[in-house]
Amino acid sequence: MSTLAVTEAPHIDWAGISSLIALFGGAVVVLLVGLLRARFARLTLVPVLTIVAFAASIGLAIWQWDEDTSLMSGALGLDPLAMIGVVGIGVAGIAAVLLSIGATAPREAAHGEYHAMMLVAAAGGAMFVGAENLITTFIGLELLSIPLYVLAATELHRRRSLESGLKYLIVGSVGSATLLYGFALIFGATGSLDYAAIADQVAAKGLGDDPLMLGGVAMVVVGLAFKSSVAPFHQWTPDVYEGAPTPVTAFMATATKVAALIAFLRLFDGALIGASDAWGPALAALASIAIIVGNVGALGQSSMKRLLAFSSIAQAGYMLVGVVVATKLGVQATVFYVLTYVVMTAAAFAVIEAAERESGHDGISALAGLGRRRPLHAIALTLSMLGLAGVPATVGFVAKLRIVQAAVDGDYSWLAIVLVVGSMISFVYYLRVVARLWTDEPAGVAVAPQSQAVEVEAPEAVATTTAVADPKGLPAAAVPGGGAVVVTGATILPMTVLAVVAGAAIVVLGVIPGPLMTVVEDVARAVPELFR
Amino acid sequence: MLHLSILLWLPALFGLLGLLVPARHVRWVGVLGAVLALAFSIVLVLDFEPHGSAFQHVTDTTWISALGVRYQLAVTGLNVWLVLLTTVGFAFSSLWIATTSLGTDPRAKHVILHLGIAQTAVLGALLAQDLILFVAFFDLMLIPFFFLTAQFGNGTNEERVRATIKMIVYTLVGSLLMLVAAIAVGVLATPDGQAVSYNIQEIAQRGVPEGSQGWLFACFAAAFLVKMPAFPIHGWLADGYKAMPLPILAVFSGVLSKVAVYGFLQIALPILPQGTADLRWVVLILAVLSILYASSLALTTFNARLVLAYSSVAQLGFITLGVMSLRPDGASGALLQSVNHGVAVFGAFLAVAILGRRTGGSEDLRDMGGAATKMPVFAVLFIVVTYAVLAMPGTANFVGEFLILRGAWEGTAQGLAIVASLGVALAAVYALRLFIRGSHNRVAAKVEPREGTRPELALMAIPVVLIAALAFHPQQTVKAADDATTRAVQRAAIVVGPDHVRKILEADPSARNIAPEPFADVPPSAGTVRPIGGARTTGPASQSDPATDPNTGRAVGVDPSTGQATTPSGGAAGSTVQVDPSTGQTVDPSTGQPVEPPSAQTEGAGR
Amino acid sequence: MSTGWYLAVSAIVFAIGAAGVATRRNPLLVLVCLELMLNAGNLAIVAFARMHGSTEGHVFALVVMVVAAAEVAVGLGVVVALYRNRVPVDVDELRELHG
Repeated sequence: MSTLAVTEAPHIDWAGISSLIALFGGAVVVLLVGLLRARFARLTLVPVLTIVAFAASIGLAIWQWDEDTSLMSGALGLDPLAMIGVVGIGVAGIAAVLLSIGATAPREAAHGEYHAMMLVAAAGGAMFVGAENLITTFIGLELLSIPLYVLAATELHRRRSLESGLKYLIVGSVGSATLLYGFALIFGATGSLDYAAIADQVAAKGLGDDPLMLGGVAMVVVGLAFKSSVAPFHQWTPDVYEGAPTPVTAFMATATKVAALIAFLRLFDGALIGASDAWGPALAALASIAIIVGNVGALGQSSMKRLLAFSSIAQAGYMLVGVVVATKLGVQATVFYVLTYVVMTAAAFAVIEAAERESGHDGISALAGLGRRRPLHAIALTLSMLGLAGVPATVGFVAKLRIVQAAVDGDYSWLAIVLVVGSMISFVYYLRVVARLWTDEPAGVAVAPQSQAVEVEAPEAVATTTAVADPKGLPAAAVPGGGAVVVTGATILPMTVLAVVAGAAIVVLGVIPGPLMTVVEDVARAVPELFR
Repeated sequence: MLHLSILLWLPALFGLLGLLVPARHVRWVGVLGAVLALAFSIVLVLDFEPHGSAFQHVTDTTWISALGVRYQLAVTGLNVWLVLLTTVGFAFSSLWIATTSLGTDPRAKHVILHLGIAQTAVLGALLAQDLILFVAFFDLMLIPFFFLTAQFGNGTNEERVRATIKMIVYTLVGSLLMLVAAIAVGVLATPDGQAVSYNIQEIAQRGVPEGSQGWLFACFAAAFLVKMPAFPIHGWLADGYKAMPLPILAVFSGVLSKVAVYGFLQIALPILPQGTADLRWVVLILAVLSILYASSLALTTFNARLVLAYSSVAQLGFITLGVMSLRPDGASGALLQSVNHGVAVFGAFLAVAILGRRTGGSEDLRDMGGAATKMPVFAVLFIVVTYAVLAMPGTANFVGEFLILRGAWEGTAQGLAIVASLGVALAAVYALRLFIRGSHNRVAAKVEPREGTRPELALMAIPVVLIAALAFHPQQTVKAADDATTRAVQRAAIVVGPDHVRKILEADPSARNIAPEPFADVPPSAGTVRPIGGARTTGPASQSDPATDPNTGRAVGVDPSTGQATTPSGGAAGSTVQVDPSTGQTVDPSTGQPVEPPSAQTEGAGR
Repeated sequence: MSTGWYLAVSAIVFAIGAAGVATRRNPLLVLVCLELMLNAGNLAIVAFARMHGSTEGHVFALVVMVVAAAEVAVGLGVVVALYRNRVPVDVDELRELHG
């Protein structure tokens, strides 16, 4: 008996994993609160608690900022790169929760489950960005992906939502399986699952041209490219983005990007840096394909969500440039870009969700004349589009500047040229959206100079039209709690708040990028392999 | 202390203020902002010392420390008159807007806001001494015009949106390539182990590796030539000009294209001398082609706007010619001509607007006519503007073109200058054609025969007065620019060859005083020998280290007027020194004083 | 037995799975093929774990099994939801989203 008594528990750094605990704990709490019968609990308490959990994880990550260690016997890194990933995912999560207020998806899927799923996905993302071990990487990735498959399919009565969920699941699983096989080959070549040990092995044995290693790296590249929707593995992205409920799309677009890009950095610029001769050109090629395909693909789109899907493919290409150059500057540039991307995309989706609720669809025409109806939304979307295009005085310009500098500095000037050629193309579709906002009269609705009048009119008019257009659209009364497909009397306030905050951030960070830059300076130390 | 940030942000600030004012009064907020900026810039011009330090009223703080980008503004001989032109142009434009329907439009706030942002951006591009800051403002400059055209332009929604997107994307082709080039310049010029700096003088001093200068220059030139626009890359011009509202177009055509000219003088020539010397013939030939092509189009089109559009292209061809002659007189002429042309264009577009209103909105030359008899006051004002456009002897435009052509004659092939001077003759034809079609002939059927309104005539008087003032005192501009243009062209001139330098010195021996070291006696044999790969090497240990103070301007240099002209570093050593500034910071044997590299360090930091 | 054999089998299984995902129309069969792909990876991992004599690899294999099960569970759930929604259970019929 006494021998049993002295069994020593492994040391657990509770502080180090506190932000993860906040997310997982939040998920459990939200799930339970969601079971309460009170309307207040479901409609108000659940989102509030979710936001609290996200905010707590952000706060705890900032608290742990100065740490630089490994947890769980080297499985999880606790360093600024991981923490900034947690912050980015947390911000994306808060944005998605704000967009979900009053949306159809959480009502259909039950509020508790919907929000818990989001928290679990965020926790997976937090694990993914901190992973320093192939096992943790895989678990983090799956924990991020599986809830997203479900979330994409939450609008159970909308066929497109279910379709997008299934499509996402199939493509995502193919990506996971490929990634897993790549991991297996890397494990076979190095005999180790830890990033640090892999890096040592690659350096020591000169595995740069080992066939097993090369095969593994190639499959990992493909697998991650599937996950982060880098062309030519992007075909699922527009469909899934379009089909999924908009708040979920927003979460997918932002949180997944943060997680995937940081994982890219950690894996390639950390563990596999020794084989950079092998993956460097491959990733560079992927990045340029993504930039061109994404930007060209976006040209013909009339749905805002599809447009943003293609734009996100191109943006993933821009961000990959920082990974490719494999320098300190590159790491910082990618992290900076991904953070700014979260802000810019959040602003865009906030406006799209609001417009979708008012008009019932996400086409660019839904935005016509927004400048008169909802100037705040129009300004936010304008800033977001200009930011994504990289216009000076928005944060997008600074981000692009960093990427280009990293590319030129890392002797990838040609990639920088590809990048700006891509941006040139992107101006066409971004500006087309912006022009729509400020020039057109609102379509369908008679010209109403008073914004008040439109606010009252639009949802009703639209509710009837969509009910006709959608044969399966249930009558509004059929679903408890309000509208079926189009939410009548839609709540727009949370979207406005998010749009205004994100829009302001785009400009403020664009003019005064210093503070965020300083924060990002720190992250490169998480990738010590770069400085060998 | 005249703080340049005040001038820079004032217009944008007033644009934002306009959002708080009721729509009826907002135009006056715009006018007030523009007039205040104008007053500020007049003070700047009066305060400018032509032979004082190269950088006056320096503002210098960190902007993006991680990238080494600084917020550096300064007034130099190159930009002081262009700043004035800008503020005049925007003040003129805001006044004009205040008298038209744009000013009373329910969305007048947008006009004022975008115009304010545009002015800030243009001023920023002119004042910036940091390359990235310049690029940022240069790119930003376009965006307000996108909104102004898309919202208030001519034609259907569809048409004007398409036209303006075409314009933006076209011009961005160059601008974004320039962004890459700007970053590459900064990175390549940075010696190992030192912090990246994008200060233009700092880069010029450090030197960009000669092998890369070709493509870098091509990127910069692309950005500037598209903006002007020059001949093969002017595709956006016709649609863009047709779509833009006239008051906006006046400032767009009169001011923005000049920033491109300024970009050549301020950036491309000093920091990429080798690239300039290698590729200048391409630019020169494009310039001459622009002159011929645009002049002939201006002769044939019946759209009054397009006559002015193509005349602008031709004029900018001239200006480019002057810049690329790589001679101080040519470059000064180019700057003078930039100012002249800007002022003339303001008047000309207003004239088109007045004529167009008379014909009931048509801007076709065939619909006009009869203004000389029915509206004599207007016709008198219009003829003055026309004289300025065609560079009649007696106007400052004549002086400018003369300087440019002289520069081209001496600095480039004489054949080029002869061909270019054809453009002068053609200018007379198309400018007079515009005037005659508008003012003489029979009064067309649709024309409403009335004198211009008082506000219109008062507005029209502004450019006319300015044209007259410039005609009496063209030397003011040239004087302010002289030292600065000498500094701007000297590096490239040296790379071109000793003969070129000798010719410059023959024409103007005082050029040596401004840039004593590189313009020292050039032995014909050694001038062409250049050290290879010297750009990256650091100077001898005894030099005053420029890197300790990257914000150039700050490094206290040697007063150009004292003695440097008497201590030229002669001989072969001198000639290698002059070619590559960053290797050339040797200690002058006769004085024991570190010989400062030419342009950047000769001057103090202003006051 | 040489690790090469295990690897060959796993590669074949992976290829079969990938081919199945690409060609099968029934979502259930697609899910089965996904399972094959994941388990091919698992087989390779276990084989390498034996080769290197490492326990980590075995742990990894266990984790992958759990993940694969979760994935299939979600997949089946969505298929059921689709079925309930009277959508033809055939991936080629998923045409609402043109892509």
